[in-house]
Parts: sequence; structure tokens; C-alpha cells
Amino acid sequence: MSRNKWILILIGIPVLVGAWWAFRPEKLFINQKVNESAPAALSSEPEALYTGKLEGKIHQTSGRATIYKSTDGREYLRLSDFTTSNGPDVHVLLVRAEDKVLGGEIVKGDLDGVELGALKGNQGDQNYDLPASVDLTKYQAVTIYCERFHAIFGVARLERF
Amino acid sequence: MVRMIKAGLAFTALAGALLLQPTLRAQDNMKQDSMKQDDMKHDKMQDDKMMHDVRAKTLETGKFHGKVHATSGRATVYQESDGKLVLRLTNFKTSNGPDVHVILVATKDAMDDANFLKDNTDKVELGKLKGNEGDQNYEIPAGTDLTKFRTVSIYCERFNANFGAAPLEKF
Repeated sequence: MSRNKWILILIGIPVLVGAWWAFRPEKLFINQKVNESAPAALSSEPEALYTGKLEGKIHQTSGRATIYKSTDGREYLRLSDFTTSNGPDVHVLLVRAEDKVLGGEIVKGDLDGVELGALKGNQGDQNYDLPASVDLTKYQAVTIYCERFHAIFGVARLERF
Repeated sequence: MVRMIKAGLAFTALAGALLLQPTLRAQDNMKQDSMKQDDMKHDKMQDDKMMHDVRAKTLETGKFHGKVHATSGRATVYQESDGKLVLRLTNFKTSNGPDVHVILVATKDAMDDANFLKDNTDKVELGKLKGNEGDQNYEIPAGTDLTKFRTVSIYCERFNANFGAAPLEKF
């Protein structure tokens, strides 16, 4: 073999090794999966399933809506950091996120949704039990809704936690 | 003329009062209702608290975004009962790569091509990424100011590349 070829090999191999070390191209195809459990203190806590931030519609509304599964399997909605305006006959409902009426402020006709109860307070943290049969893949939004005037106070679109 | 204006004003006031009345009464009802409920609710409110009487508290959460190296999932900061802060990644997925770390950065959010070394942004190192998929926990050093460090970044230190970032929001 000629001298030049040897030099090429002597330089080429370290360069290739260096490039491999730097870029580790095989990692593009190799996944490293982990599955750590939640911090120990959380295991006895309700598990958050979905969460979303409330945005105001006809009235200023803010805070967070989170759906939890308690350790005994019951699901409930919790509003935290919550503020809306007070009003008559205000309810909390689960609605379909793709429902077009959520784009507006006033609902014509009836709002299709799962009733969770009358709003307990227009400020503060509060929980609402979900009916056992509710399909959370279908109802992916929470709304604060005034039934008397068909007015949407606020909406939270839920996302997987 | 003046008399007509006066009469008009009086009429308007009367009409206004009549219109307002039902609303006011409705609000009264609301208050009475809620006051009535308060007593009954008392137990329940305590329940509400109990359910969250907190061994671990959720402080912050945010969703990952990242296009260059597709990154998705959620970053959540918990506070354990002893005050220790833990960052947990869930539904997490990013691309595998060399020398990838989880860091907190002192920005509100980060672009896909952010280079935190160059722009001298304050960082807190949380450790090497344990896996490019799956749920995982990282301890946050005591004394980390979460009002300042608002973004979680999956950062390749070798190439100063931001794989993905999750801006934190108050939970």
C-alpha cells in the first residue's frame, strides 16, 4: 500500500471516531425510555388528568380548571385561582371543545353539555363532582354559564396533564 | 320646555328603576342562596380542602413545544411537604441526542433555536436527560427562584441547541 493511503487511514479513523462521538447519529434511531413514578408524596394524592386556563368571554373570568381522579377513582373538577363576575343562575358545565357556540358569548337555544352544578362562588378554589358516566374524551372544555341569559362567562379548554 | 325635559328625566328615572329592579332582586336571591348554602357547604368546603391538604403541591405547569427536534409533553413543578421542589416531565417525548440536559432558564419562553450559552441567560442545571421518552423527575436545587426561572429547556450542551422548551404558568 502506498504511504499516502496509510496517512489517510491514520487521520481518517480518528476523525470518524470523533465525529461519531460528537454526533452519536445512532441515537436518531435508538430511543431511551424511562418510566419514573410520581414523587412519593404524590402517590396518595388525587391525580390530575386534564387542565386548562379559563379565559373570559362576556365577563372577565380567570383561573385554572383541572380534572382530578381521586384515589378512590371518583373524578372531580377543581377550579383554582378562580375569579369571575357574580351573576344570576350561573352554572358549571362540561361542553364539547369543538362546539361552535364557544366562539361567541351568547348561546342561541340550549347548550349541549354535562351539568356539574350551580357555581358555588364567584371567587376561590372549589370542587365539582363529575357524574360517573361522563366521557372526558368527548367533553374537553369547561364553561361558566349563566343559564338565565344564555351567556358564556368563561371557557377553559382542557389539555392532557 | 323645561317642564318637558324634567318630565322626560323623571320618566327615564322611573323606567330605569323598574328595569333595574328585577336584576337587583335576583342578586339578593343569589346572596341569600349562597348564604344559606354556606352553612351546608361548610363540611364540603373542608372536604375540598382535605382532598388537597397537601403533602405535595402543584406550583407550575407548562407544555413543551419544539419543532427542530420534535418535543412534546408537559413539565410540572411540585413542592413536596418538606419544601423540596421537583420537576416532573409527563407524556414526554423528544429526540435522542448526545449530552442532553434538563435546565431551567431565566426567560419567559424560548425559541426553537435559542442558544443560552451565547446570550448569557441565567440557567439552573437539573441534570442529564434520563430518557428521551417517558415520565421522569428532576430535583430542583433549594433556593431556586421560580419567579425568575420561567422556562424548562431540553438543552443539548454539546451543540448549544434547544431541543424544546416549556414556558411555566401558575397552576
